[in-house]
Amino acid sequence: MTSISSRRLSKELMEIQNGGCPVGIDLEKADDFQCWRFSLEVMGESLYQNEKFTLQFRFDQQYPISSPAVQFVQTEGRQIPVHPHVYSNGHICASILGNEWSPVLSVIAVCVTLQSMLASCREKRRPIDNDRYVKHAPDNPKKTQFQYDDDTV
Amino acid sequence: MRVTVKRWHAVAQWRWDTGNDDADGDEGDVCGICRVPYEGCCPSCKVPGDDCPLIWGECSHVFHMHCLLKWIGTAASKQQCPMDRRAWVTAERKVAKPMISSS
Repeated sequence: MTSISSRRLSKELMEIQNGGCPVGIDLEKADDFQCWRFSLEVMGESLYQNEKFTLQFRFDQQYPISSPAVQFVQTEGRQIPVHPHVYSNGHICASILGNEWSPVLSVIAVCVTLQSMLASCREKRRPIDNDRYVKHAPDNPKKTQFQYDDDTV
Repeated sequence: MRVTVKRWHAVAQWRWDTGNDDADGDEGDVCGICRVPYEGCCPSCKVPGDDCPLIWGECSHVFHMHCLLKWIGTAASKQQCPMDRRAWVTAERKVAKPMISSS
């Protein structure tokens, strides 16, 4: 039986293939319904000019009821963005990936949100607890209970 | 000239009455959770219709009942509407009443 996630993801994939991605976002890998990768650039003036990032989505069979596991990954020539909400292992502290996930969101909606999170950044630095977090972080960022206490960056 | 009707063929179409006349296009509206048209069925069902009905919230948002219940059944939902994050309250007024039109 086809899972909920594969049906929904094949619809999202078709929309991306027919309508394209928003500016600065490109689908790079979607060979299956478990793991997709996008390239992400911030358009216009920002602290991330001329930088390109790789964003990875991992889905379980209950997507979109259960949120995707989203993180930045290091790939050829691309680093993890330096941002107060992005840990050096690629994990992202963003409420829509955690306790504010909603099944009406989509892969592209998440990409756009993270793009604008980077675009509005005013100081390139790692989260304060980066070293402590990265040392013990689980492989899957969904297993982390982040505190979303800072809406200003 | 006389015409004798030997056989006739009735064609009917049904659509959930979502109270949204704007959605009268070919596609109609889709459930925000599974992205399947309301007239289709949720991913867990095979046959659309009464066995896979819609559910209305007091907030006016509409979903396939099975999709919404799956979401509301998770702790992550906090029993909130996926669209506006208000506490989900099922609306009583619209018991799925199919609108019948013929062509």
